[in-house]
Amino acid sequence: MTREEIAQRVTMVTARELKLSEAEIKEADHFAFDLGADSLKSIELVAAYEEEFNLTLDEEEALKVQTVGAAINFFNTLLN
Amino acid sequence: MRTYELINVDSPNLIEDIFPYSLPPLISFEDKIQETIDGQRVEFDPREVKTRDIHLTDTTFRDGQQARPPYKKEHMVELYRMLSRLGGPNGVIRQSEFFLYTKNDRETIEECRSLGLRYPEITGWIRANKMDFRLVKEMELRETGMLTSSSDYHIFHKQNQTRREAMDQYVEVAEAALEHGVRPRCHLEDVTRADLPGFVFPFVQRLEKLTESAPENMKVKIRLCDTMGFGLSYPNAAEPRSIPKLIWRLMNECGVSADRLEWHGHNDFHKVHINGATCWIYGLDAVNTTLFGFGERTGNPPLEGAIIEYVALKGDLCGIDLSVITELAQYYEKVIGTTLTPNYPFVGRDFNTTRAGIHAGGLRRDERIYNIFDTTELLNRPPRVAITDKSGTDGIALWVNDFLGLKGEERLTVMKVAKIQRWVMDQYENEGRMSSITDEELEEQVKTHLTEYYAKRKE
Repeated sequence: MTREEIAQRVTMVTARELKLSEAEIKEADHFAFDLGADSLKSIELVAAYEEEFNLTLDEEEALKVQTVGAAINFFNTLLN
Repeated sequence: MRTYELINVDSPNLIEDIFPYSLPPLISFEDKIQETIDGQRVEFDPREVKTRDIHLTDTTFRDGQQARPPYKKEHMVELYRMLSRLGGPNGVIRQSEFFLYTKNDRETIEECRSLGLRYPEITGWIRANKMDFRLVKEMELRETGMLTSSSDYHIFHKQNQTRREAMDQYVEVAEAALEHGVRPRCHLEDVTRADLPGFVFPFVQRLEKLTESAPENMKVKIRLCDTMGFGLSYPNAAEPRSIPKLIWRLMNECGVSADRLEWHGHNDFHKVHINGATCWIYGLDAVNTTLFGFGERTGNPPLEGAIIEYVALKGDLCGIDLSVITELAQYYEKVIGTTLTPNYPFVGRDFNTTRAGIHAGGLRRDERIYNIFDTTELLNRPPRVAITDKSGTDGIALWVNDFLGLKGEERLTVMKVAKIQRWVMDQYENEGRMSSITDEELEEQVKTHLTEYYAKRKE
């Protein structure tokens, strides 16, 4: 899966879970500060990524990811 | 001023010599304790507690019963049996005292005796008069406590006697006991509010004289009754409230040995447990206790607290079976019908239950962070989490993993339980809920959101 494909799916899931439009989301966005994800929402978002990519993630590693771009890189590393 | 530099370490210092987790945290001392008595420094060595024959005695059926509706005979027999198991073969719970006044009291003693248990030894409790002593003889007890009130509040204002009259009467009953081969245990009622040099010490010295040539097992015992909870554990507190001074004078000036001294406290000032433990440290051997602290008014030293203190001081279980504490609590709640306060140490429903999400997070990572010792192994009470809006997803994960019995790598992450946490938060934020989430409700959520895991558990 290419980085672009991963970026597209991460953006789609993020928009759906945080009730935003995909156009609003940028790679530099911080989940909590820019996109308004509280702690439970952040966990739900990671759970949604797990479903999207059919992965079981390490909790500590996954919850360390703070921005959309870091999430794309995280899955890019895992999947490629 | 001394400067302390950070010592950065690769592995944590968990101070396991004091916090072994497999036992309650240990109590150790580094030096002697000093007390000033009559202007002179005297010393106590608290380290001796490790080798001295300190022990507990029990008054669940006497003082404990004064504070509550009477137990049924079968309750007392079962509690007695459990006390014996708890204290173990070394008799850490050495004696238990019983009333002798009613037919039910006497039948209970007979039935407890018929169990043939070595410990706790059954002793009696009477007022210091000869009529009462007849009951001790009839029950063929080897030892009885007798009420020998020692403050002028009692002697003058309750008994309407002079000190001389009171002392003569007490000594007369003690003599009667000795004549009949019964060991007297004189309960110095209200001793922490008494004129010590003017009444208590002369009385104790007279008692000592009474049995100075008697064999060891017939010498008079002295119970120090802190009837109103006035006793103070603080070094250099003034008499008559000072526990260290009282013990020192009785041992050193009156000649009472440690094995014949017993402390009986009350909790009027929240000092009941520490005062009992202080007595062990300052040299007397026996601390009188009751199950869950039930006793007159605010209660007596809780037996379960004292026995855990015992283990902490000795650094060893010494044959004690601490899990019986949990059985006793269950027996009170389910059979006797006495509700124990939820936050009551060691036995209350919530004593090792956390509600805060941040604590639950700690518990998930290493239960030692928020559990006082290995309560699963020692008390048969695994640490738990109660779910509210404050528990966080960590709390849910802890509850769910424990419920599903998942260990190590199998344990579910917070991501897997996020839907349950969302349901919990909706309960509070959208439904206006004010109560904790019940175990049954959480089970239902597991069934809905973690269907496969739930099915496996049911298999």
